[in-house]
Amino acid sequence: MFEKLRRIIGGVDADYADLRYEIKKDAVISFAGKELTQISSNSTDGYVLRFLKNGGMSSVVFTKETDAERAIRTAMENARLIARNLEKPVAFAQTEVVKENITPVLKEDPRQVSMAEKLELIRKYNDIPLGYEKIVTTSLTYQDLIREKYFLSTEGAEIREDLITTRVSGEIISKDGTLTQNVRVRAGGSNGFSAIRNQEENFEQRTKIALDLLGAKPVEAGVYDSILNQSLAGVFAHEAFGHFSEADIIESLPAMREKMKIGNTLGNEVLNITDNATLPDQVGFYKYDDEGTRVRPTQLMKNGVLTGRLHSRRTAAEFAEPITGHCVAEDYRYAPIIRMGTIFIEPDTHSLEDLAMMLGNGLYILDAKGGQTAGENFTFGAQYGHVVKNGEVGDMVRDINISGNLYKTLRTIVAVGNDLAFSKVGGCGKGQMNIRSCHGAPHILVKELVIGGV
Amino acid sequence: MEKLLEMARKVCDRAEVYSNDYAYSPVSFENGKLHDIDTKFQSGVSLRIIKDNRLGFAYTRNLINREELLRNASDSLTGGVEAHYEFPFTQNPSQLDTYDSSIEDCSSTKMVEECARVCEILKSKTDAEISMTSFSYVETIRLMNTEGTDLSEKSSFYGIYGAAVYPGSASGIRRGYLDKRFRKMPDSVVHEMIELYNASSKVVEPSGGKMKAMFMPNSMYTLNWRILSGMSARSVYEKISPVAGKIGERIFSESLTIHDDPLDESHPEARAFDDEGVCCSPLTIVENGVLRSFYYDLNYAKKLNAKSTGHGFRTSRWGGDSVMLKPGPVLTHMRIKPGNSSFSEMVESIDRGIIIEGALGAHSGNIPNGDYSIGLNPGLYVEKGEIRGRVKDAMVAGNVYDTLKYIIHIGDTLHPAFSGEWLPPILFDNVSVALKK
Repeated sequence: MFEKLRRIIGGVDADYADLRYEIKKDAVISFAGKELTQISSNSTDGYVLRFLKNGGMSSVVFTKETDAERAIRTAMENARLIARNLEKPVAFAQTEVVKENITPVLKEDPRQVSMAEKLELIRKYNDIPLGYEKIVTTSLTYQDLIREKYFLSTEGAEIREDLITTRVSGEIISKDGTLTQNVRVRAGGSNGFSAIRNQEENFEQRTKIALDLLGAKPVEAGVYDSILNQSLAGVFAHEAFGHFSEADIIESLPAMREKMKIGNTLGNEVLNITDNATLPDQVGFYKYDDEGTRVRPTQLMKNGVLTGRLHSRRTAAEFAEPITGHCVAEDYRYAPIIRMGTIFIEPDTHSLEDLAMMLGNGLYILDAKGGQTAGENFTFGAQYGHVVKNGEVGDMVRDINISGNLYKTLRTIVAVGNDLAFSKVGGCGKGQMNIRSCHGAPHILVKELVIGGV
Repeated sequence: MEKLLEMARKVCDRAEVYSNDYAYSPVSFENGKLHDIDTKFQSGVSLRIIKDNRLGFAYTRNLINREELLRNASDSLTGGVEAHYEFPFTQNPSQLDTYDSSIEDCSSTKMVEECARVCEILKSKTDAEISMTSFSYVETIRLMNTEGTDLSEKSSFYGIYGAAVYPGSASGIRRGYLDKRFRKMPDSVVHEMIELYNASSKVVEPSGGKMKAMFMPNSMYTLNWRILSGMSARSVYEKISPVAGKIGERIFSESLTIHDDPLDESHPEARAFDDEGVCCSPLTIVENGVLRSFYYDLNYAKKLNAKSTGHGFRTSRWGGDSVMLKPGPVLTHMRIKPGNSSFSEMVESIDRGIIIEGALGAHSGNIPNGDYSIGLNPGLYVEKGEIRGRVKDAMVAGNVYDTLKYIIHIGDTLHPAFSGEWLPPILFDNVSVALKK
């Protein structure tokens, strides 16, 4: 394969070019309620060409090999057009030139599990919630996704890496009269099919929450001191802070860049945040990013002070900061952009009980339900919560959405728990989906959160 | 494709081949300067086969190995996904004006010049950080099935989006303009951005509570996703639609009429047939507040003993790759009937309220139930008929089946909104706004 890629970009008139070819295979099983709605396995492929000339960079994505010439011509014209319009030429930070073949370490290879066995297992999980009268439906999807990547650059890099992801994700929907409630259920990992096995208890627990929510009261809109559980705190680390650590987000926003200078104090001193995609067995794991740079653990915040950020080769040069290896694409349909790998809030010493006592009165809110960031503002949902009175966790509440301002909220995280946990299923839709972007956190205590309610 | 269909015919009862081929060329400006040009040439083929009322589905990018594609589809038959529907025989669908050949002359250079022109105007009239994207898109789809249907449609699509961002926030005023061919962004759109940006550049801190709220076309998708979830044949079939069984009943304010018009050639992306080969036609969903129809694809129509309304499209809430998605019921060309009020008259009528220019987190929360709870990105605060500035840390929440009963005014102009919709701004009463103060 590398021979073919070399032929395609061998003679190009570029200061730098790289070509990534990928074969993407997936197996999907979907249920809507009792009904199987999809079962399929597919194989697709395509190319991504990136081209740097006279300080102008452009990319072309193509699927047909016969389009290679047209792609090269287009990339070249566009790179030159950009070069003519740029005040400051694009440069790439140096990275080691590597020839390596990486095969992931798996606990049970999903390719060796038959479709019939996968179907039987997913049907068994799906039947758990559907056995309850007030569960009206489910939507459940199993997916294993294999990216076989070939990366070649005019600098001489030749990297072959496979990323294998397995996941089960869906919703359990309960209904009583006119009230419907939904709860998410998730399982998966980057280390093989074993992450999908033995999930019965997980499905039982999520079903119970969906049923309990039918008896919960809607939260009243207002401002609350709150404890966020690991899932929610992890989403916060990702949505509200992580995206601003992605250099491409702030690169062209001068005021934001000023605020996010390394050395600035942005958070409470209890807050330490790191991205570490080298942690084995986490969803975020990979070795080389999609521009051939080895990924490095990167501390982003230490005692509330900004200490690092996530880079591509382009932004590392632009910011004159160390390369980190975070330039990742969804698949062969996209040029890579800067993505988080495994971002997490580092644990401190407090138990959940300590945090509840420190909270006194407020809310204990749990489990993320989608989040979005725009600039310094973020919004994300929680699947459920409990009222906390005098440090005691009480009645369940529903319909919780949190909104806030990044800078204010980073300062109002006043205590961090000791129970770090990571998400089992990744997902970040920054223009393209990245199912390998995951997050972690312990419980955290936050002052004055704006809760939307309904 | 013909060959693939012939091969498929031999191993199943019914088959359908869908192909899509497109070229997408965007140029993007950040902070007023050219930043990226990332082109895509993509193609793909998707196969549905039905045997003994069971569905097989598979897709690929390069139709080099037809046997493998057919084998993947055949393998998926064994799973037992039920499919009792027939593929249609469609001949002579409406001939629509969807393609303007001048799009082929819309070069990157031309788009760069246009973005630079608009950036300059915005920079000279505001202190905003400006980002812009302009793109051209040419797509050909073809659909064949074993009933004898063989349809194709070529379409062109040009667009430009701009954002005037409040420095240091990445939040701002966004506007877009869409056409079938290259056109300069109209002055009216640029001026509206300037006016709204300058009126909201100051941060204000009013107190929260129930107040008037105007959803702009940019944020209306928050409500639409919930409305359309309730009116989808799929939700009705799955018994999660709160309005199942309410056809003919008044569910919203009588000033609200929602229809779908795929044949509307005045805008890009008109469609004569859906992604299953069923002819498209206009459909009234809600008329003067009364629920008139759900929307169906072939699959859910059969399950509910109804007829497909021509809404089987290969897309999802966030868009998606049509080749990789099976058709499902999607309302792709939604329009809300305009009212009589201009935007400025609507603002003047507000004693105290919020203009929701953009929404954050519209996808979270209980969509089937109609609940929404969004951050404002940004939210413009209005008092005594005047925009006083923008609010931070604010959320708006409610339930569409409640909110849509309290319409005060509907704007008189339709604007392009999220994915093929053309919508007016709508002013509602009695919306819950949470603010930090």
